[in-house]
Amino acid sequence: MASSTVLRGRRVKRQLPTSPWLFAAPGLLIAGAFILYPFVSTVVNSFTDRRTLIPGRFVGLANFRELLHDDMFWTGLRNSTLYVLGVVPALVVLPLLLALLVQKNIPGIAFFRAAFYTPVVASVVVVGLIWVWLLDERGLVNSLLETVGVGRVGFLSDQWLLLLSAMAVTVWKGLGYYMIIYLAALANVPRELHEAAAVDGAGAVRRFITVTVPAVRSTMVLVGALSSVAAFKVFSEVYLMAGPSGGPAGEDTTLVMLVQRTGTGLTGRVGYASALSVVVFLVTVALMLLVLRADRREES
Amino acid sequence: MPTSRRAALAAAAVAVLVLPLSACGSSDGKGGSTDASGKVEGDITFQTWNLRANFKDYFESVVAGFESKYPGTHVKWIDQPAEGYADKISADAAGGTLPDVVNVSPDLVAPLAKAGLALDLDKAAARYEKEYLPGAWASHQIPGMKGTYAFPWYLNTGPLFYNKSLFRKAGLDPDRPPRTYDDLFTDALELAHKSGGKVATLANVPTIEDFGRYGVPLVNQQGTAFAFNDPKGVELLTKYKQLYDAKALDPQALTATPESSGKKFLTGAVAMNPGSALDLDNFKKQAPSLYRDIGITDQITSTGHVNMYVMGVMVNSRTRHTPAAVAFAHYVTDAAHQMAFAKKVAIFPSTAGSLDDPYFTKQDGTDETRVRVAAAKSLKTAVNYTPVLFSDQMKTALRNEVAKALQGKQSPKAALDNAVKACDTLLRQQG
Repeated sequence: MASSTVLRGRRVKRQLPTSPWLFAAPGLLIAGAFILYPFVSTVVNSFTDRRTLIPGRFVGLANFRELLHDDMFWTGLRNSTLYVLGVVPALVVLPLLLALLVQKNIPGIAFFRAAFYTPVVASVVVVGLIWVWLLDERGLVNSLLETVGVGRVGFLSDQWLLLLSAMAVTVWKGLGYYMIIYLAALANVPRELHEAAAVDGAGAVRRFITVTVPAVRSTMVLVGALSSVAAFKVFSEVYLMAGPSGGPAGEDTTLVMLVQRTGTGLTGRVGYASALSVVVFLVTVALMLLVLRADRREES
Repeated sequence: MPTSRRAALAAAAVAVLVLPLSACGSSDGKGGSTDASGKVEGDITFQTWNLRANFKDYFESVVAGFESKYPGTHVKWIDQPAEGYADKISADAAGGTLPDVVNVSPDLVAPLAKAGLALDLDKAAARYEKEYLPGAWASHQIPGMKGTYAFPWYLNTGPLFYNKSLFRKAGLDPDRPPRTYDDLFTDALELAHKSGGKVATLANVPTIEDFGRYGVPLVNQQGTAFAFNDPKGVELLTKYKQLYDAKALDPQALTATPESSGKKFLTGAVAMNPGSALDLDNFKKQAPSLYRDIGITDQITSTGHVNMYVMGVMVNSRTRHTPAAVAFAHYVTDAAHQMAFAKKVAIFPSTAGSLDDPYFTKQDGTDETRVRVAAAKSLKTAVNYTPVLFSDQMKTALRNEVAKALQGKQSPKAALDNAVKACDTLLRQQG
């Protein structure tokens, strides 16, 4: 018995250096092929003038210099930034309020929870097309506005209304997802805290500010970080609503749309699109760091 | 762990990661032969562009016919959806997995030819040239390059459909549709005025083909730079600006796609829309009341030549079975097969003499035949206005500058100057 333990121990010791790598190999292989390699390749390509079918040559920082003088890059950066500013506050606050509403165990609440979550599982393409029909010049929304005397509104033809409409779709579609995250966080808020605050005479609003918000603050940071990254990388909603050209005169183009437009197709400028992608990556990382830093400062 | 062992492990890990990726790189560069005179044999792949859904039986019979004519050959037919077709080809081309025979259009074949991936048929299949209409054969020639890079396949053009009821409501004679650009602009303004801006006549901003039909020179004589910013081009854009301001051009035209403008025509929001004989069936099914009141007139052109679209069949220069690939590309596009295909769907053969067939010349009283006969007649002098080197990025650049002019953010002249500048830059970058 004792000798077999020793033997087993030896065998384990002998296998230790390589066996973890073997276990990790499938994961490493997948991560290497689908994450690491494309990432490194994108960074390398950003310093070349590579095109879809023509291998590029090293051009140093020329692509980055070019994008500083590219009006469409600044348009894309403006729109992606506006998207973050418009969407993130809504996605941090509204799902929390929604979660508070559906948290209560009252008859039929499961239906509302499911209803609020439905847009999350719906295809973004289907959702986008439905909203395009709703907001069309002759769509349901404009018919209603015309009936009440407001007149037709160019939701899909005005540069700013188009961007706002796309933001509204993103918020509407994301509410359910973040609501579930908040529901999980709210379940961990001790009931006693609410009861103690109520005994001290705090009303519903005060309890929300002094008990609920501090208790779910780390979740709010998480939601803020996740939604800001997603908002900065927005593509589908704007592409579907504004069309492949990015709205009137391309004024609603976002950075990721610009990457797609520039880098794809048989004449795609892979090098330049890679430089754009690197910028998107850097801004995304900066956004994450900003949110986390703000959270840390708050904590300290 | 000894250093050498650690290094070996690291090297193995790197190799495991990198080796599979090396297979994803571009083609090995081993080109196939340009000699198509050998024995027709071997396995080849044929890729079509969104044709399986409606023509599966036809293409299976073509493949079966070829395989029985040339024993020892096997054709694998694959079909790709319309959406993202260029992206699929570019991914295959970059990955070295481009099929042996590929359905292309002239603008798709240009970058493939420049990358050395399209077989020069003037070298490999010159004997077949006389079987095709001269204009169609030339449609896959690339400015700045010698050679022809695809067999011409089917042609398409179409009339201008209009909603007679909307014309009537605006006090216009529904039996006298506009035939010149001047008529078109006058009628469009009248329609918008009478409907209080609720009915537009056109749903799309002018494209490069519109400039071509208006008589604007699109490229310079050497074919090395774009030239659509000349006074005629500015004149056309100025007219469109007047239409946009009067809502005679749909307010959503700046973001419209051909599909969205087609829907607007179906719902009566737009009075005129270009189309083809294929659309008649669509009107019948989706908008029967529109179909009863549909007007059909010729494409408006100032040059006397309507626009046509050309499809081609390209042979991959790196195919391992050049004789079989060339033979199959010719087989699909020969007169007999183009004629058989044309009888299944409203397309037109690019082979010499086919358009004189009674199928394209004799009326039988139906709308479909009327459209077909008129289109076949106009195709004899039609022009493919889309410049071969006009890429998707250039289309977007033109569209965006045109949109700025229509919105009044810049003058038509400045918009076209900027568009030409952007397109020239993109042209230079294409190499």
